[in-house]
Amino acid sequence: MGRDSSRKTHASPGAREGAWAVRREQLRFLKQRLVTTARMFLKNRMGVAGLIILVFFLQLAVFAPLWAPYNPDPILRPTGDPDEDRLGGRLAPPNATFLFGTDNQRRDVLSRVIFGSRISLAVGFAASAVSMGLGTLIGLVAGFWGGWRDELIMRITDVFLSLPFLVFAIIVAAILGQINLWQIVIVIGITFWAGTARLVRSQVLSLKERQFVERSKALGSGDLHLVARHIFPNVVPIIFAEAILTIALAILTESTLSFLGLGPQDQLTWGRLLEDAFNFQALESDNPWFMFMPGLCLVTVIVGFTFTGYALDDVLNPKLRKR
Amino acid sequence: MNLRQLILRRSLNAFITILLIMVVNFILFRMMPADPAVLLTQRGPHTPDDIVEQNRKYFGLDKPLYEQFALYMVNTLIGRWGYSYDERSHLVLNLVMEKLSWTLLLVGTTTIITIFVGIAIGVWAAYKRGKPFDVASTGIGIFFYSIPTFFFGIILGLVFARWYPIFPAGGVLDIRLAPVWPLTFEKIIDILDHMFLPSITLTIGYLAGISLVMRGSLTDVLTEDYITTARAKGLTDRQMLRRHARPNAMLPMVSLVALNFAFVVGGAYQTEYVFSYDGIGLLTVKAVFSSDFPVLQAIFFIGGVAVVLANLIADFIIYYLDPRIKVS
Repeated sequence: MGRDSSRKTHASPGAREGAWAVRREQLRFLKQRLVTTARMFLKNRMGVAGLIILVFFLQLAVFAPLWAPYNPDPILRPTGDPDEDRLGGRLAPPNATFLFGTDNQRRDVLSRVIFGSRISLAVGFAASAVSMGLGTLIGLVAGFWGGWRDELIMRITDVFLSLPFLVFAIIVAAILGQINLWQIVIVIGITFWAGTARLVRSQVLSLKERQFVERSKALGSGDLHLVARHIFPNVVPIIFAEAILTIALAILTESTLSFLGLGPQDQLTWGRLLEDAFNFQALESDNPWFMFMPGLCLVTVIVGFTFTGYALDDVLNPKLRKR
Repeated sequence: MNLRQLILRRSLNAFITILLIMVVNFILFRMMPADPAVLLTQRGPHTPDDIVEQNRKYFGLDKPLYEQFALYMVNTLIGRWGYSYDERSHLVLNLVMEKLSWTLLLVGTTTIITIFVGIAIGVWAAYKRGKPFDVASTGIGIFFYSIPTFFFGIILGLVFARWYPIFPAGGVLDIRLAPVWPLTFEKIIDILDHMFLPSITLTIGYLAGISLVMRGSLTDVLTEDYITTARAKGLTDRQMLRRHARPNAMLPMVSLVALNFAFVVGGAYQTEYVFSYDGIGLLTVKAVFSSDFPVLQAIFFIGGVAVVLANLIADFIIYYLDPRIKVS
């Protein structure tokens, strides 16, 4: 903190108070900026629609036990009463007891879809966090320190951006053995970090030349201070929108891998539900909802993240906002 | 940096990237837990006990790692990619090339349709910014972009191949018409028939990617001074769009199209899987299920190199099209 530039500009007996005043001013500015951003976002109809979708599904995932009418796992056993059995039988079409019918193993589709949202969303968030963290860190190093580090990192990102993703994920999965939840998060994370690293790097390169960075440097700021206080905060808006879009991509990727039978086998995700349904040719059975429901939820959630991400990008990174 | 240096530098970088891809390809497959010498050995009742060791020696797997690496580099470059584990009589090179031609047919057709339709939608949306067409095309575009390709393919297949059997459900050519060569008119029609649903699936998936980028790029261009000049000298909007705005807005499309194309060379695997279209994507999925590592290794290499080359070519086209790069 000794090299804090704001303190040096107030090098008087009241230096400490001056520093506090600056900090308060910064906080006020930050708050104001958040409020304006929120206001502008709420004016964006696409963004609001996306946000409503997200809030709905997030609470669905969090409160899944409250929403789900049945336990998703145990097989509903035949009771002996023929009426009851038809109701909860194998591949029953939607009815009053089972709103979306049952699957090939007499399980309630609705409950399975609701519980499936938990892991699908969790994987999306975690994988996006891994990819953003890695990408931002590497992008900052490449952009700010440059030189041979930049060259090296750029060549590595080139490789990651060129590899056929599916084959890469599969090979990593094969090396790891039976894939579990954490491994799929890591696999998706290390597949998408390179794009973020590129984005952050180019932003850092342009920030580095800006006057406020020069000024801080002239006042004697060290590299770490520059990055932490001046460069990184200005990268955040860009990666924030990117992070939201990456969540959508991660959820899509997880479901694709699961659909191809390459996801975690012991976990209930939407991709897994789709794979089950596809393997049992659910669409031609008595209960096509067995397949439609997880698919519809998947599409809705991805639309939600994409709408929100695009709207945020529009609001946070305004370069197109003129006629 | 002048243009020649720029091109040299880009080519050098692409070359390094390809080398690195080969290194990664080597390391990843060496990290596999399975022993290739065991996988390569078919056991029968009369096979000698030391057959695994014989195979290990025969395939050079007993040599030190650096020698294996050198051998691998040379063999990869001259196309000696070995035999498929699954279909042991098949050379990987032939297998991959055969499937690749089907994928290129599908992806090539789709890319051309997508470019024309996507650019048209993007231009019109940018021109009518904020109007109903723009809002609708952006919203619908993102919606279709969000549908997992395999899910959309399944629905299409269900509706147009099962419920209303207008198109065949899968494959590339009716079994009664095989083999493909010599090509007859009837076979061409049948191939197109089989291609219809997969290419619609792919088109829907990529359309929004193209139209949204085109819209964004043209929106940028429309704020430029030379557009105001064009308007001021009395050009109609149509002339202004065609002569001044669209050509400049096309630059980002070059890389996007190249990249799309290259990635799909790596496998339109979801579409091909759902429609059992006999291309490289289906080969990938099959190779995964049967742990056919030589095939996977080849696909990994081809897919990576395709992206690197596509990027390089796109950059060269942009250097050629955009005079600003030559000046700076």
